[in-house]
Amino acid sequence: MQPIISISNVSKTYATGFEALKSISLDIKRGEIFALLGPNGAGKTTLISIICGIVTASTGQVLADGHDIVRDYRAARSKIGLVPQELTTDAFETVFDTVSFSRGLFGKPRNPAHIEKVLRDLSLWDKRNNKIMTLSGGMKRRVLIAKALSHEPQILFLDEPTAGVDVELRRDMWNMVRDLRETGVTIILTTHYIEEAEEMADRIGVINGGELILVENKAELMRKLGKKEMLLHLDQPLQAVPASLAEFDLHLARDGHELIYVYDTQGERTGITTLLRGLADEGIRFRDIETRQSSLEDIFISLVKDRT
Amino acid sequence: MNLHAIRAIYLFEMARTWRTLLQSIVSPVISTSLYFVVFGAAIGSRITEIDGISYGAFIVPGLIMLSLLTQSIANASFGIYFPKFTGTIYELLSAPISFVEIVVSYVGAAATKSIILGLIILATAALFVPLRIAHPVWMLVFLVLTSVTFSLFGFIIGIWADGFEKLQIVPLLVITPLTFLGGSFYSINMLPPFWQTVTLFNPVVYLVSDFRWSFYDQADVPIGVSVAMTLVFLTACIAIVAWMFRTGYKLKS
Repeated sequence: MQPIISISNVSKTYATGFEALKSISLDIKRGEIFALLGPNGAGKTTLISIICGIVTASTGQVLADGHDIVRDYRAARSKIGLVPQELTTDAFETVFDTVSFSRGLFGKPRNPAHIEKVLRDLSLWDKRNNKIMTLSGGMKRRVLIAKALSHEPQILFLDEPTAGVDVELRRDMWNMVRDLRETGVTIILTTHYIEEAEEMADRIGVINGGELILVENKAELMRKLGKKEMLLHLDQPLQAVPASLAEFDLHLARDGHELIYVYDTQGERTGITTLLRGLADEGIRFRDIETRQSSLEDIFISLVKDRT
Repeated sequence: MNLHAIRAIYLFEMARTWRTLLQSIVSPVISTSLYFVVFGAAIGSRITEIDGISYGAFIVPGLIMLSLLTQSIANASFGIYFPKFTGTIYELLSAPISFVEIVVSYVGAAATKSIILGLIILATAALFVPLRIAHPVWMLVFLVLTSVTFSLFGFIIGIWADGFEKLQIVPLLVITPLTFLGGSFYSINMLPPFWQTVTLFNPVVYLVSDFRWSFYDQADVPIGVSVAMTLVFLTACIAIVAWMFRTGYKLKS
């Protein structure tokens, strides 16, 4: 199937000489939720801004649903909705008017029924006649999403959609994003909250220093790069790991009360059985065992750290 | 052509006018009325007729032009600067809309406001002085042409400005002096020959002259020259706006 967004060798060097993007190539599949992860200044917003037409790429090409974003910008942009990172809204307009304005701006005829549906879906209908300046930060974020959805886009960019919003609203937004995906909308989100990507994304791209480090199916990424830890709560604290157990990746924590074993779940042998036997031979007794899968955050941090 | 977008921006800008009625319409009308009181009644009563026209009536075209220029620039510059200031410009830049459509909608709205204002001031003037309009169609043509030209100029200032101070600099330091020295309150024929020549470098002279001609059939400079100068300025503004959008000057990085 043709990708809904195709990015080929896109780079961006600002007038100051700062190289924000270094030859990025990426395909976004139709109907997926794609999370773009990266630390501050990695180039996430620049990449999104290029695709949406806000920033001009220095080199490369972007196709949105087969339309070149420069040569065929009308067709390309009409497919795209953007929720920016900053809460940039008009202050004196009402919610209904500003969302209707966005629909017109994207070339769609007036459709109060659709605007009502969008506002109801985002729990904004009761606020439709309120001026935007009277709304809370979370509500303003919803208004930005409503504006982006007003023209029924096939592709939705969410740039840090839940930055600064409370837990309840974040959950609501996750549900909304899933519902949108059910209707066939492709969603590309950038986020600082890695749990957000872990919770929602089908695929994950990690960007750092303007380079796309990797793009991977989320489950595959966690399977390939994920490590597991086994935590043993010891009866008696240990001063050091016995020499007979040196072959295992062991380290002590909490003043020797905990012994942590890191192992690879994909390995032919995990070594758990041998380790437990070795502990018994050394007369080390333990009260409890727990295991922990490394999170996407751990993977992300190790990936970014490896590059710096 | 994205007509829905043009309509949306135009109505959005016009809605701002109605929302800020006091500053958009009422305050320029009050200012102009004060000019009539000061120049027309207080000072004008001591000035004899100019070219057979009472002084109060003589200054009407210049006063309308003064408001038209300042308001066209203010409306258009603020219209495009404010989205830049608040950050909502992102929506305009990411929308499927061409630069021609953006200019038509913003400049169209700004010019509409100025034309409405010009007509209101004209009606207000009629309350103070006896008016006659020798060429009503040409009067409207000049009203529209001047509003559009200076709205375009204001649009350029709005894109260029990166602070509210810059937004005010050109209207305050350039346009207002040029208007006052452009024959709004006097005929340039009243000046010594040297200053008459200097005044001809002031573009506002041509605007006031052709507008006054449409009222009283009298002009300081030939009407063809006035129209040509206005069109030259209009063309220059269009060229600058086109360059700004082509290069993304102060809009896109």
